[in-house]
Amino acid sequence: MALSSKISAYPSKFLGQSLSFHPNPTTIRRSPTHLLLPPRCDKREVDSTGDDNVESETARSQPSVSLTLDDVNPVGLGRRSRQIFDEVWRKFSGLGQISRTPTDETLETVLVRGPMCEFTIPGAQDTTILVVGATSRIGRIVVRKLMLRGYKVKALVRKADQEVIDLLPRSVSVVIGDVGEPSTLKAAVEGCNKIIYCATARSTITADLYRVDYQGVYNITKAFQDYNNRLAQLRAGKSSKSKLLLAKFKSAESLNGWKVCQGTYFQDVVGTKYDAGMDAKFEFTETGNAVFSGYVFTRGGYVELSKKISLPLGCTLDRYDGLLLSVGGNGRSFVLILEAGPSADTSQSKLYFARMSTKVGFCRVRVPFSSFRPVKPDDPPLDPFLVHTLTIRFEPRRQRPSEGTTGTTQDLRSFKLIMEYIKALPTGQETDFILVSCTGLGIEQNRRDQVLKAKKAGEESLRRSGLGYTIVRPGPLQEEPGGQRALIFDQGNRISQGISCADVADICVKALHDSTARNKSFDVCYEYIAEQGKELYELVAHLPDKANNYLTPALSVLEKNT
Amino acid sequence: MALLRCTAAAATTPPPQLATSPRRLRSLSWRRTLAPLHDHLLLASTLRHSSQGRHWLPPAVTCNAQTVVATNMAPGTPVRPTNILVVGATGTLGRQVVRRALDEGYDVRCLVRPRPAPADFLRDWGATVVNADLSKPETIPATLVGIHTVIDCATGRPEEPIRTVDWEGKVALIQCAMAMGIQKYVFYSIHNCDKHPEVPLMEIKHCTEKFLQDSGLTYIIIRLCGFMQGLIGQYAVPILEEKSVWGTDAPTRIAYMDTQDIARLTFIALRNEKINKKLLTFAGPRAWTTQEVITLCERLAGQDANVTTVPVSILKFARQLTRFFQWTNDVADRLAFSEVLSSDTVFSVPTTEMYNLLGVDAKDIITLEKYLQDYFTNILKKLKDLKAQSKQTDIYF
Repeated sequence: MALSSKISAYPSKFLGQSLSFHPNPTTIRRSPTHLLLPPRCDKREVDSTGDDNVESETARSQPSVSLTLDDVNPVGLGRRSRQIFDEVWRKFSGLGQISRTPTDETLETVLVRGPMCEFTIPGAQDTTILVVGATSRIGRIVVRKLMLRGYKVKALVRKADQEVIDLLPRSVSVVIGDVGEPSTLKAAVEGCNKIIYCATARSTITADLYRVDYQGVYNITKAFQDYNNRLAQLRAGKSSKSKLLLAKFKSAESLNGWKVCQGTYFQDVVGTKYDAGMDAKFEFTETGNAVFSGYVFTRGGYVELSKKISLPLGCTLDRYDGLLLSVGGNGRSFVLILEAGPSADTSQSKLYFARMSTKVGFCRVRVPFSSFRPVKPDDPPLDPFLVHTLTIRFEPRRQRPSEGTTGTTQDLRSFKLIMEYIKALPTGQETDFILVSCTGLGIEQNRRDQVLKAKKAGEESLRRSGLGYTIVRPGPLQEEPGGQRALIFDQGNRISQGISCADVADICVKALHDSTARNKSFDVCYEYIAEQGKELYELVAHLPDKANNYLTPALSVLEKNT
Repeated sequence: MALLRCTAAAATTPPPQLATSPRRLRSLSWRRTLAPLHDHLLLASTLRHSSQGRHWLPPAVTCNAQTVVATNMAPGTPVRPTNILVVGATGTLGRQVVRRALDEGYDVRCLVRPRPAPADFLRDWGATVVNADLSKPETIPATLVGIHTVIDCATGRPEEPIRTVDWEGKVALIQCAMAMGIQKYVFYSIHNCDKHPEVPLMEIKHCTEKFLQDSGLTYIIIRLCGFMQGLIGQYAVPILEEKSVWGTDAPTRIAYMDTQDIARLTFIALRNEKINKKLLTFAGPRAWTTQEVITLCERLAGQDANVTTVPVSILKFARQLTRFFQWTNDVADRLAFSEVLSSDTVFSVPTTEMYNLLGVDAKDIITLEKYLQDYFTNILKKLKDLKAQSKQTDIYF
């Protein structure tokens, strides 16, 4: 053929090999997903047929019986032979080069965006994060870090000016809205899994502080919870965000299974002779309320209401974070007792208690499982998985007169508890909302109180929202690259140093998937390094390496629910 | 050897004008431009002068130009040390440098050649992309405004003549950096480039090193051995695709290194004031021959490779052959590395000293085994997933 004569000027040794091994060089090289495809069978066919392998796509698509016009077309032949020659030459000259840059687009899928990239976080593509204050000093870096790790990012900006858009990476979806305007936030939280809030008031005017640092946090948590609740409703209680109903008292039958019993902590010999006595009942009234009421006059006496918890199939309490009780009454405080242990053998059960206060009228009380303490101090901490019995106990000890009903004398030994429902609060392993607050360092003295007041109010509204939260309070921010100095994580307002914006951003991004960061507030700053010769202590902390996770060990020692 | 020749040439003949030196004179002519310092100043000033006429904005007109003035003179807004410019940001190493910089909180500007399909991934990560071309010196100054540090990872594409980017472009860039008061300049070079003046790219790198050292800039020169990323396309992919792998029988050992590690170490070096005006060599933990790499790939992939071994002597012969003709000179340059391969060197350096200097733990530098293993586990897992998916769809349809 014309082809072979054309290339025969070249050392035949390589040519022969290359022809047999590279049947179709150009088509194989270009397709971007080829790397991921299993070896194609048609490729094998071409391989095996000896002479056909010089032919290109046209030959393959047609069942080649005879020579078509295309096969003898000199232009086509020339092009094909040049492609083959180029491929051989590329490989050959590649051997003699020092740096061979992979020209392949296919490598990108693994090396740049895929698992071979040190920044990639598994599951990041499925996580959408709303960054509030994306153009702030911290926010800018947070957005970049999120993009590098493959998250989907939404940025909330007040105005879609060109210069604002230019500050953000291109594939960030920009939402226009103002944290001070609740109506604009609904669209912003749509489809978001987590929120990072690094907006802060631009001035220290009280109205500004109130609008961004307090009301802003409140508005966005509210919008986010509304969105979560809507999701929970859509999925008819099957969502991981919906609560689990443990008991609902809406009919007389719903009281079945609840037992009232009484007891004393100690035998009061004297007391029994005088005004001792106690009584309690749990009944369904005509007005449709389930009421647990009674009195305890005996010193050291108590009455309690208990039931074995029956969970729907497939549910276990370890997926839940605590209990939510909707109750009314006359404002006494109660002790919740959980019995935990293997349900087959109740004699091995261990008791855990937590105090719950109510107020006059109806209210909802949250009791996290983490606030339960073992009755015997030696017992291990509560494992919600093993809980089988719930008890509500009233005892006249440590009761406080409820507010509001001043004037009338209350007998603190009588009580009334109207029960509406008991639910388990869904847990989350991870934090839902990261708030960058501040420690108050570095703010001008005369406005510090106002700033801190607004920030504290914002933090408080986040804690009350029911979202999993992480509150980061960095020291005075410095604009310098991160990862240079060791960081101190602390609770209790004791820090004295600054911190770089990049380090704060790194903490925010790391905290997203860190279970130890959930429901924590902490201060963070650079480690204090004494001047030469003035050291009081030996340096113990070390520079955190970016590659490994420094956040988990640092946060696991800090107090939860702060 | 090369050094000696350079100085001798410079002493005897006055250097010809660099930018206009005719192509025909090739290596000899630009070797001569490595002259003592006053020549460089001369070059810098001519460049400054010539560009002032056409492209440089007079200082009073725009605030951009005023920032330039502020970097050189005492008053004015100081340039933030977090502002860096990455040259060659779309390359194998450049993109890792950009990513590492963004992750550490730098504001990154990327100098990218104007092209029909712009580098969108850089913008996606949050870098600013400016269009300029090193081979067109008048486009450079505008990109350096407000920049504190320049990181230069550019190398000419294989298909274009080495001189335009790697020598003329670099000289123009360094001169601009001097004129505009850039406070640090990081330059990536090749290991042992001073030992192989017969390889054009290495000689250019070596001359650029010397040019940079004499320029008066605060510089860091980082010499590199080989990228692990290159091995993927060269060996790992062909083995998985059951295609032939081309290797040489050269006994040369190269200490490959992950570009992500190079980028990480670069920024550690960049922030360390003690490393200013130093020459570092980054090398991987172990040096490998081509044969060893192929064997490793075969083991990890679980299949044998079609190895086509090309003797080094043939490569050398091809180079000699192509050198004879002027129109194949670029080809000869591309084959030049065969000289290094045939010289039977270990392309590596002892690493402990460098790690100590930077304060890095040697354990944190990824080894080639680990790197390739990661690659193969990931890719084989993906292949399995895809197969499972295709089975599912078969049943479905």
